[in-house]
Amino acid sequence: MFHVKFSLFSQTKSLENKIDLFHDKIIDVAMTFKKAVRVFLAEKRSEEYRKLSKQIKQIEHDADGLRRDIESKLYAQNLIPDLRADVLELVENLDKIINRFDEVSYKFYIERPDFPPEYHMRMTELCEQVADCTENMAIASRAFFRDFSTVRDYSQKVYFIEHETDLTSGRMKEAIFDSDMPLANKIHLCNIISEVADIADIAEDCIDELLIFTIKRDI
Amino acid sequence: MDLSYFIFLSSGLFLGWSLGANDAANIFGTAVGTKMVKFRTAAIIASVFIIIGAVFAGGGTSKTLDELGSVNALPGAFMVALSAALAVYWMVNSSLPVSTTQAIVGSIVGWNFYSGYETDYAILSKIVSTWIICPILSGGIAIALYYLVRLIIKHSKMHLIRQDLYTRIGLILVGAFGAYALGANNIANVMGVFVDSSPFAPLNIGRFVLSGPQILFLLGGIAISVGVFTYSHKIIRTIGSGVMSMSPMIAWIVVVSQSLVLFIFASQGLQNLLSSNGLPTLPLVPVSSSQAVIGAVMGIGIAKGGRGIRWSILCRIALGWITTPAISALICFISLFFLENVFNLTVYR
Repeated sequence: MFHVKFSLFSQTKSLENKIDLFHDKIIDVAMTFKKAVRVFLAEKRSEEYRKLSKQIKQIEHDADGLRRDIESKLYAQNLIPDLRADVLELVENLDKIINRFDEVSYKFYIERPDFPPEYHMRMTELCEQVADCTENMAIASRAFFRDFSTVRDYSQKVYFIEHETDLTSGRMKEAIFDSDMPLANKIHLCNIISEVADIADIAEDCIDELLIFTIKRDI
Repeated sequence: MDLSYFIFLSSGLFLGWSLGANDAANIFGTAVGTKMVKFRTAAIIASVFIIIGAVFAGGGTSKTLDELGSVNALPGAFMVALSAALAVYWMVNSSLPVSTTQAIVGSIVGWNFYSGYETDYAILSKIVSTWIICPILSGGIAIALYYLVRLIIKHSKMHLIRQDLYTRIGLILVGAFGAYALGANNIANVMGVFVDSSPFAPLNIGRFVLSGPQILFLLGGIAISVGVFTYSHKIIRTIGSGVMSMSPMIAWIVVVSQSLVLFIFASQGLQNLLSSNGLPTLPLVPVSSSQAVIGAVMGIGIAKGGRGIRWSILCRIALGWITTPAISALICFISLFFLENVFNLTVYR
């Protein structure tokens, strides 16, 4: 009997840890991406960038493992029956953000976009905004599990930063198309900028859903 | 004691079976419906605690029903229980809200009318007042618990997964308490009218001694348990879709409120404690668990701002307070006439 009780508590603790770890991975990937782009802009496809890109791939791989674990445990142990579908959707969406970071960093590696030095500062700013947006999204999602009354506070930050991201990416695209670089280059850079800015859009979509889930989470 | 006793007792056992089938759903319905607790686990816990509650704490409410009308002949008791069962069956079939408690009270009053024994209106009004108090009290407890639980969740910052574990444990514990309270409170409906004609002698089981009425309550408790095992799953499945929208935490609050109300109206210990401290006591009266549940759900609806409350349900309950005992009394009166004049059985002494 006591064994069953302790086993139940330890299983619960283990799943809580996995969910926390999964959120850590989102923050990790955002921070690493920010650093990777800064390195790319300074050194192009250097060894340092390759390492950071690999690191992002590893985080994505670990997050996938955690996601699968969380999902199977929720079903196998028949946990939170009323909110399980919401939690699964949330975890899936968060995983999409991590995947997108991986895809974009790989795109930088493969396509080697050629950003002229005058755009470096704005590109760094855009990546910082995207990372900040994602970080706040992760904090909001973590709050959903522990302290759902604060989800709204972080959501507002995500909305604000996402809007800033749109402005930054818009200004960059405008400046690029006003420049004298070849059209192919312009389109290439704009595509990359859109890919980066899209990450903030996905975070915003996640927050929209999270706010609905939070209403359901309240008893 | 001959076989005829068990034939007469069968109506009470049938009433017990239907009570188990219907009212167990009030205790474990949401827990099983939302898959928080397995049906088998729920049924075992409910059965064990219903029997414990019935045998060891069922005396108080039975005494009150006995004060309303001492059905002193076995065929009379048979017909009182059967009339209540028929009234419940007919009303359930007609989709009218029904309470076994109100049906049995109507039957007893019907027997009083037929036999010429005077109905104690003081006791009757005491019983009827509890029908009104029961959903209101349950609603009040549910509102208080709702705010308390919200406050705890907000300040404890408990992880959702841990909260789920505690809710699961809470549903099982409160389900056991609810089953105990149901057994203690509602056994009077099932076996109360047979107490005066009980042929059972005290039974020694090791260090325990079961009195005659307790043996009767044990049989009633077993009948309720059979109802839980054989039919309550179907009821749970039927009402499951209706209560699924309720979160497990709300379900917990509803079951706690309902169980507390049933316990308050059944506990002799609580009555002694209140009276020894000079506090006003509550009568020991069987109350409707379904109406306690409706009261609790309404209470939570009010706490959430009153949206989505179907006030027509309250009107239907109030209508049930009059129609159920009236129909039951009428069936009992007519059936007693047939039993006495067609079958030549003594229905009262």
